[in-house]
Amino acid sequence: MLFKDQLQFVLQHMRKNKLRVTTTVLAAMIGCAFLIVLASVGFGIQETMRDEILNQEQVTEIDLWGDESLSPEDEKWISEVEHVNVVLNKADISNPITSTFEDRTGHSQGVILDMDAQSKLPSNLSAGRLPQAPNEIVVGYHYAQSLLNEADQAEIERKSKEAEANGTWYNGEEEGYKGEILGKQVKLEITMDEEGTQSETATFTVVGILKKPSYDWYTDSSIIFGQDLLEQFPKLVTYPSTKIYVDSLENVMPVLSELKEQGYQVYSVVEQLEEMDLFFLIFKIGLVFIGTIAVLIASIGIFNTMTMAVTERTREIGVLKAIGASPALIQRLFLMESAFIGLLGTGLAILLSYAISFGANAILPHVLAYALSDESLTKTDFTFSLIPLNLVLIAGGISLLVAILSGWRPARKATKIEVINALRQEL
Amino acid sequence: MIEVKSLHHTFTIGKKGKEKKVDVLKGIHFNVQQGEIVSIVGKSGSGKSTLLQVMAGFLAPDAGSIIVNGVETAHFNEKQSAAFRLENFGFIFQNFQLLPGQNVVENIELPLKLKGVSSAVRKKKVQELLKKVGLTEVADHYPNELSGGQQQRVSIARAMITEPPIILADEPTGSLDMQTEQEILLLMQQLNIEHNLTFVIITHDEEVASIADRTLRMSDGVLVEDK
Repeated sequence: MLFKDQLQFVLQHMRKNKLRVTTTVLAAMIGCAFLIVLASVGFGIQETMRDEILNQEQVTEIDLWGDESLSPEDEKWISEVEHVNVVLNKADISNPITSTFEDRTGHSQGVILDMDAQSKLPSNLSAGRLPQAPNEIVVGYHYAQSLLNEADQAEIERKSKEAEANGTWYNGEEEGYKGEILGKQVKLEITMDEEGTQSETATFTVVGILKKPSYDWYTDSSIIFGQDLLEQFPKLVTYPSTKIYVDSLENVMPVLSELKEQGYQVYSVVEQLEEMDLFFLIFKIGLVFIGTIAVLIASIGIFNTMTMAVTERTREIGVLKAIGASPALIQRLFLMESAFIGLLGTGLAILLSYAISFGANAILPHVLAYALSDESLTKTDFTFSLIPLNLVLIAGGISLLVAILSGWRPARKATKIEVINALRQEL
Repeated sequence: MIEVKSLHHTFTIGKKGKEKKVDVLKGIHFNVQQGEIVSIVGKSGSGKSTLLQVMAGFLAPDAGSIIVNGVETAHFNEKQSAAFRLENFGFIFQNFQLLPGQNVVENIELPLKLKGVSSAVRKKKVQELLKKVGLTEVADHYPNELSGGQQQRVSIARAMITEPPIILADEPTGSLDMQTEQEILLLMQQLNIEHNLTFVIITHDEEVASIADRTLRMSDGVLVEDK
């Protein structure tokens, strides 16, 4: 029998039993859509968390910890590891630094950087340049905002109290120095020891301003010095650390494991990603498993429909066999019918799942914002549900396979029908 | 054309553990020549329908041999038997056995579809046969819209569409009135002459037997007369 004729034969029967076939297709659709939407929540949350981590820090950065600063030999060895681009030595100054500019004062965290290494990295400045001479500094994006006079302080106090009464907080963005800080000289009081008993004062020129931090809530008023600060103030207490920059994301893990083998204490956000991916893989498998139960329930519907179809058509099957249809053809015709029901159900389920997914992503933030009375939630970039192609393929595959399997027994039953008994049946 | 030798068939009846064997065919011998109309007559329970079912391959014989066109068919499996039927036999049944969901044309072309013939060729053949059996005007009707005689004509057209050498008919006029019976018998005779078709007709109706070249009479599972 030509495939075209087989298809026509199957469709003719499906049309004859429209209501039964439609309800079975609906059941298959709901089962498959449930599976896709359920698993899409796993994919959505994972995507959101991944974005969160990848935005948070430079992903090609490896942190190296230790009690002492890196020895020149260590630094040389690490910089020769394959795929390592830059080894950046860094030291945090123990106590806050007090800045004085005109009638304003401000407090900042100080960091000392190896400017030669920093210059090899992509620029992190929004204006100006890196320090080239002693007494030159780079400041954080919000540094000027952190320089306050008495009037500003009173204003911030007032606005903070007002915000507190409304259950929010105020970040002081409307006050501070509004002029151009680049090129200006500021007087810095640097505390030398941890106890804060000794301090030195010097004048520095602002030659660069860092980029705006990626998070809106973070105010960066830090001050970045070159390594000559340590020559200027040898007694300054600092906490050294090292950052290693790898050429690309996929090389982070190999470099990390090589450094670990050598006994270095290293950490990268990529490790966290890998752990998270493993967790989500198990989570998603769990969701697919639960969703598959829904598909299996729908398959009972397909099984019933096909069993009914075979019972109803016993005489017809008898006639077909009598005039020469092979058992394999009879089986194929019924399997095609159940596969067709599965295919229709799966196709509709994919469309429905995408609609639900888009709907959920559009509406849920508003529902949450309303429920929690927090308007800012409507602006968050949170993905509740994500349907990647591989989810569609996996869910579609499961659903189709289950549909064909549930048609298998009825189809086998059809081939076992004896011609004589079938022909004796009345219409 | 057909050679049947010492054909035996036994039915097992009754519940498990209390089965009883009933010998339905007890060593049947006969030959049918090409172009012959052979009727097999006998009372109910004489085994004539079982004989046709065994010849068609719906039932496997317990012993004996059936040679059709030089091919031994007695030991065919289900698949071989179906393929052989499609090529060599056309069937006419007492209650027509048309597919209710398919119209006249679709019912007639069904064996051609099973053979994988293209729709253009099918259409041509069906049109020719419709004319021959006088059904052109009801070509798009469904079986429940036809009279008994018309339904049996559809059934005859379906049996002939693949141009098989042998037509097996089981009580072909059993559901028809006298006048329609005459028409159908006439049609069968006409086809036998025009196409040199071989007919094996099972019947208990002496009228039907009258168009046959030979009549075999069966009684209690054996052939008692061949004339």
